[in-house]
Amino acid sequence: MTTAKRLGLATVVLTTCGAGAAYYATMMAMKGYSVPSESLNYLVFALVAALTLLILMVFWRNVHRSVGKVRTQLETMAKTEQIALVMVDSGNELSQITRPLNELLSIVRRQTEQLRSECRELQIQSRIASAEKHHTEAIIFSISDAVIVTNRFDELILANEAAEKLLSFRLEASLRKNIDRTLSDGTLVRLIRETRSHGRSFTRKVVEHSIDQKGSPKTFSITLSCVVTPNEEVSGVVAVLHDVTREKEIARMKTDFVSNVSHELKTPLASIKAYVEMLIDGEAEDEKTRSEFYEIISAETDRLHRLIENILNISRIESGVVKVVREPCSLTAIAKQVLEVVAVQARAKNLTLNEQLAPVYYQVEGDRDMLYQSILNLVSNAIKYTPEGGTISVSVTADERRQVAVCDVSDTGAGIPPEDLPHVFDKFYRVQANKKLAKGTGLGLTLVKHIIETVHDGKLSVTSESGKGSTFSFELPILM
Amino acid sequence: MNKRVLVADDEAYILHVVSMKLKNAGFDVITAVDGEEALELCTSEQPDLLITDYQMPYMSGLELCKQLRSRDETRSIPAVMLTARGFDIEPAEMMEAGIAAVFAKPFSPREVLAAVCDLLNGQGVEGGERAASS
Repeated sequence: MTTAKRLGLATVVLTTCGAGAAYYATMMAMKGYSVPSESLNYLVFALVAALTLLILMVFWRNVHRSVGKVRTQLETMAKTEQIALVMVDSGNELSQITRPLNELLSIVRRQTEQLRSECRELQIQSRIASAEKHHTEAIIFSISDAVIVTNRFDELILANEAAEKLLSFRLEASLRKNIDRTLSDGTLVRLIRETRSHGRSFTRKVVEHSIDQKGSPKTFSITLSCVVTPNEEVSGVVAVLHDVTREKEIARMKTDFVSNVSHELKTPLASIKAYVEMLIDGEAEDEKTRSEFYEIISAETDRLHRLIENILNISRIESGVVKVVREPCSLTAIAKQVLEVVAVQARAKNLTLNEQLAPVYYQVEGDRDMLYQSILNLVSNAIKYTPEGGTISVSVTADERRQVAVCDVSDTGAGIPPEDLPHVFDKFYRVQANKKLAKGTGLGLTLVKHIIETVHDGKLSVTSESGKGSTFSFELPILM
Repeated sequence: MNKRVLVADDEAYILHVVSMKLKNAGFDVITAVDGEEALELCTSEQPDLLITDYQMPYMSGLELCKQLRSRDETRSIPAVMLTARGFDIEPAEMMEAGIAAVFAKPFSPREVLAAVCDLLNGQGVEGGERAASS
């Protein structure tokens, strides 16, 4: 039972007693009985007590109601998690407590709001930072070069897929681990360490380094940069590995090409200069020798010209600047033209020219002049490397099932040794064993290969047996 | 007796013109068209001097000269090199192969002849004395 209820009950009892006593006294007085003064005293006391209790009860109920209100307000605040001021009726005894309470609540509310706004700001910043991190990672992951990022303790903190593949590690398993335990390449580990420890003295360095990839060595240009904090401390290293194997190969091929070209150009030039000097010095005594010298100079000039033309043609095709005129044309018609042109040469060597040509209506799409050049080169080679009395066969057939036209040029000549066969289309490559048989630039077949495969998307191949002869074949799609 | 010179080159026209220049100057000339043939002829014919091209089938001119130095019977034959490769032979390698002079193609037959005469008159090579006495 609450104090208020107890108080209420006591008031009711005392009021009832008081009222009872008063009633009893009144009745007694009315009946003419005298009421003893002692009883009157009790009566008055009871009345005063009841009155006091009544006043107390009223007061207590007031306080109780106010406390209840304050409690409800506080409970609402707790429930809604909203801090507000506590309201009580003015003049209420509780207002003495609620005033400092409200001051305290205001302070709490202010601080909460401040914290809340700071928190919001932090959340926004964190979200921006996370988005930026994601963005940076996406950029790094999209780079085809291998990228590795380490921290100041030489631990791996970021790497892209290219790096994982190249150095065979898994980023997830290697995060926050020292690079000497995660990266398979010792030199790279050393380079990263050195860059980090010498951090302040240089910002970036580029090192060329070879790394084995699936058994074949690849050359990488490694760019190492320090990540420096605003207060100039090195917080890590970024290593970018760019594969320069192909560039190196191209550079080497270029150097080889220039070296080969200069060698090939100097050889006929040497003849020309030597024979001219002989003529100047009067070393050719008779008219016959002089005339022989003139012939040689003329032939070597032609050779020089041919070489330059071939080099230019190959270079034009390789760099894609050659003008290709594509039109429907017949390999049969082109082969006939070639055979007419070489007939004199063949007769001079007593060679038999066989032809087996498909009907003209099988057409391929291509550059007529280039295809003419290709067939001419193949047939000329066949004539050059076939001894007197041999046979040259030129055939054009149509393979309708595969929808290709096939041109074969066969000879009964010297043939190509098996070890030379894979190289016959290489620039300046000449079969040493057959070099004495004919002059050549080592560019004729390279040009044919380029024309058929690079320009026309066709296929050129060779089969040969040393001493028995060779067959060069190419095929191009038929226009249906 | 005329001095004998072996000329080795796989380019027929060069072989022809050098031979002719030497013959006209009174030398006996023998020829080879590749490195292996030249090495055989050096051993069997014992020429007084060798003029060789650098790039030849089967055996390069440089390899040929090195081979000559490794054999007693051919060690003292002086060599002159013709090359279209430019001057990409290391001087140390030239010394080792005992090459007395190098002429870059295109060369002057006149200058080659002058060098041959100098060498065979005992100037500048170890084989000079032997060549002069033969």
